[in-house]
This record gives sequence, C-alpha cells and structure tokens, in this order.
Amino acid sequence: MAAIQIQNVSKRFRLNRKQEFLALENINLSIRSGEFIAIIGPSGCGKSTLLHLVAALESTSSGTIQIDGESPEALREKHQLGIAFQEHALLPWLSIEANLALPFKIAGLPIDKERIRDLTQLVGLGGFEQARPRQLSGGMRQRAAIARSLCLDPKLLLLDEPFGALDAVTRRHMNVELQRIWQEKQLTTILVTHSVDEAIFLADRIVVLSGRPGNIAEVLDVPFPRPRTTECMHTEQFHKLADYLTGLLEPKEPA
Amino acid sequence: MTNKSFQPRSILYAVIGVVCLIAAWQIIGVSGIAGLTVPTLTAVLAIYRKAPLAALLYRSAIATTGSALYGLVVGTLLGIATALLAHLLPILRPGLDRLAVTLNAVPAIAIGPIIIIMVSREFTPALLATIPVFFLVYVAVISGLRSSSPSLAAMMTTFGARKIQLLRYLDLPAALPSLLSGLKISVTAAMIGTIVGEWFGAPTGLGVVILNALGNFQVPLMWATVLLVATISLTGYGLLTLAERWAERRFA
Repeated sequence: MAAIQIQNVSKRFRLNRKQEFLALENINLSIRSGEFIAIIGPSGCGKSTLLHLVAALESTSSGTIQIDGESPEALREKHQLGIAFQEHALLPWLSIEANLALPFKIAGLPIDKERIRDLTQLVGLGGFEQARPRQLSGGMRQRAAIARSLCLDPKLLLLDEPFGALDAVTRRHMNVELQRIWQEKQLTTILVTHSVDEAIFLADRIVVLSGRPGNIAEVLDVPFPRPRTTECMHTEQFHKLADYLTGLLEPKEPA
Repeated sequence: MTNKSFQPRSILYAVIGVVCLIAAWQIIGVSGIAGLTVPTLTAVLAIYRKAPLAALLYRSAIATTGSALYGLVVGTLLGIATALLAHLLPILRPGLDRLAVTLNAVPAIAIGPIIIIMVSREFTPALLATIPVFFLVYVAVISGLRSSSPSLAAMMTTFGARKIQLLRYLDLPAALPSLLSGLKISVTAAMIGTIVGEWFGAPTGLGVVILNALGNFQVPLMWATVLLVATISLTGYGLLTLAERWAERRFA
C-alpha cells in the first residue's frame, strides 16, 4: 500500500503563446496508506488534473508529489499503479480475458490465468471471459476495467469518474461492489467523482476542491462505519452530510 | 451487422444494373452505331476461346498480375516501414509526408522513361506499380496509427507501457482497418502503374497486348484484354474489401 504526499502542487496549462490557465493552485494533501479518498468539486475544478498528476500522466508546474517517498513515474514504471477511467478504456479487439492479461504483458510478467479468473469472479464477470467489450453492457465493461486495474496488485488505485456514464441504479450497485472489492484489498484509492452520494458512501475522507483555480476548500472525515450498506444512505446523518457537501459545490456568486 | 450492399434488394438492383449494361453493350455492338470500335460482347468473349489468343492472354495476365503483386507487396512493406518510422520519430514526419506526396505527384507516364534507363524494361511495370502503392499505404497507415483513442493510450501509459508496447498492443491493431482500406484502393493503382509500365516496352504483359492489338486494329482482342485487366483488378479489390470488412468488425 502506498502513502501519498502532495506538497504545494500547482498546475498551469498553456492555452496559447500569451495565455496560461491555472488549473490547480497550492494543493497540499497527505494520504495515509490504505485510505480511500474521494475528490469532489464543480466541473472544471481540476479534479481529474490532480489525478493525472498522481498518475504521472501530467507533470506538476510546481510542488512535489511523492508516493512512498518516490515519484509517481517511479511507481508507474514498477507497474504498481491501477487506473480506471470514465470511459472503460478496454481494447475493443481483445476478449475480456485478454484485456485483463494486458497489464501482465506490459509489465513483462507471465500471465497469471488464475488471478485473471479470480478477478473476473470478484467483479462479477465470471463466465464472460471470452466476450468482447462491445458484447457487454456499460456496467459490465466498467467492472472489467476495474478488474484490470487490480491485476498487478497495485499499491495505488486511481479511479477517474469510473461510474460517470452509468445509470443511477447500476451506479449504486457498482458502488456497493467497489466497496466490497476495496475491503478485500484495502489498497490506497483515490476516486474522482461528481456524485456526492458516491463520495460519502465509499470514502474515508472527502476532499472538496473549489474551482478556478482549483484549490482545496475542505477535507472531511466520513463518520460511517464499514462495511456500509445502502441503508446508511437513507439515514439523516447521510443526508445532512450530502446537503452540506452539495452546498459547498454550489458557486459562491450566481454564475 | 447490417450491411446495405448485402441486402436482397440491393443485390437485385445490382443484378438488374449489370444485366442492363451487358444488354446495352450487345445492342450497341449488333447495331453497329459505334462503328467497328465496339464489337459485340459475344465477339469479345469468343476471343477467350481462340487457342493461340487465349494462351497469349494467359501468359500476359500472369506477367501483369506478377508485376502488380510485386508492386503491392513491396509498396505495402515500404509504406508500412516508412509510416512506422514517421510515427516513432515525429521529427521525420513532415519530411516523409512531403517526400511521399512529391513522389506521388509525379505522373507515372512522366517518370516512366527515367525508370527505364535507371532499371530495365522488364522491371519498369513492377516499379511503376510500387510507387502509388507505397504512397497510398503510407498515408493510410500513418493516419491509422493515430486513430487509437487517447484514453486507451493513457490507460496503457499508467500501467507503465513503453512506446514500443503502445505501438504493438494499441496503435498497430488500431491501424489495421485503415491499412486494409488503403490496400484496397492500392490494387487499382498497382494495375494502372503496371499497364503504364508495360507500355514503355516491357517484353510481355496485358499492356503490351493492348498496344499490339491497337497497332494491328484487333478491336475485339483489345476489348478482351481490357476486360481481363478489369476482372483482375476487381478480384483483388473484392478480396481486400472482404478483408477490410473483417478487420472493421474485429479491430474497430
């Protein structure tokens, strides 16, 4: 498992020769090993950018990110990063089994068929190993992507709106599934989401970003004990927290 | 999979169209309104049953198909290799793009004489077939290699994929449908290149037969040869269309 230190991180994007856009400003965040962090914030607040920085898909403009004392690139090169995006990002020409074998191939490791079978079972896709992505529903594809992110026993799991494209019922179901998977593995997880309910249901701590430039407005501990059931989503405490967080996401001045 | 060209109604229309064309050809031939230049279809088909002419056409078709295939294979390999080079070393890309365009902009008919003095008359058809194939495949592959989705590339990068692995597991399979559609149009281009090459004085080939038939005013033979060229072209085109459809189902 990985502990993450994010110190004074800013990210600027060059729009054109003259203009720059400050996406993230002075982010400081310390994530404990085995912790589940949810990042929420209004659209365009830099949530995904922050995740991309941790995944070393982008580099910081200033400040440092350290994962167990190393750079994100180092973790990535050791193939210890698991990621699932909003788009399921499965290779369309490969079967589910072959898609799950891809991280092994990339890492130059022998393909662990047993592990692939276990993971497909874990995400509830047993029996669909030979199916192509297009033959599966959106929810099933997303499960496959999550199974793939767990293939190499990552130290860190990054989830960028993994259920954003799903309908509400499937999404809730996937949240329950994800909690079950996470409890089995207890691996450090960062989830970027639009959904306040999803964040409260899944996270140990919720990081609220405010927009333009993105900075941390608030960090909140989620008080509910685990394992959480969907019933906890109907409690008054849950609703209060959800209302509070939704309030934080609303723009300060009328847009 | 619904494909318009395989629906019964479309097939019916296609059959009607072909029958009309054949009928029109025969009528024009019989009526003689186009003079001696358009023989009847039956007269053209009779050429294939005349032993010495059939043997000549067969030998020539082998030579022409051989040159066109050579152009297809070598042009494709060169096109793929150059596209990979441009893809992996982006600094080379603008230069290679322009080189390919320039090479393609020179008409085969203009560059033919130069090629004859550079290589040989025998080899000119194959070389003139290679050039357009190279260009078409290069363009198809270079755009195919960039057609893979950025989110797939990001996913593979986070799993620690190196550039060569991105190429192998993502960009190459994603480029296959594009390569095959490039190959499909290359077939006709290779045939044109070959025939033009043969006109410059190759010892055998369908292009040579056409020229000789023109010189001797053997009009039915000329038509029979052209029909054969078209048949070879269309066969190749048809086979690659099937391959392309398969690749689109499989890789897109």
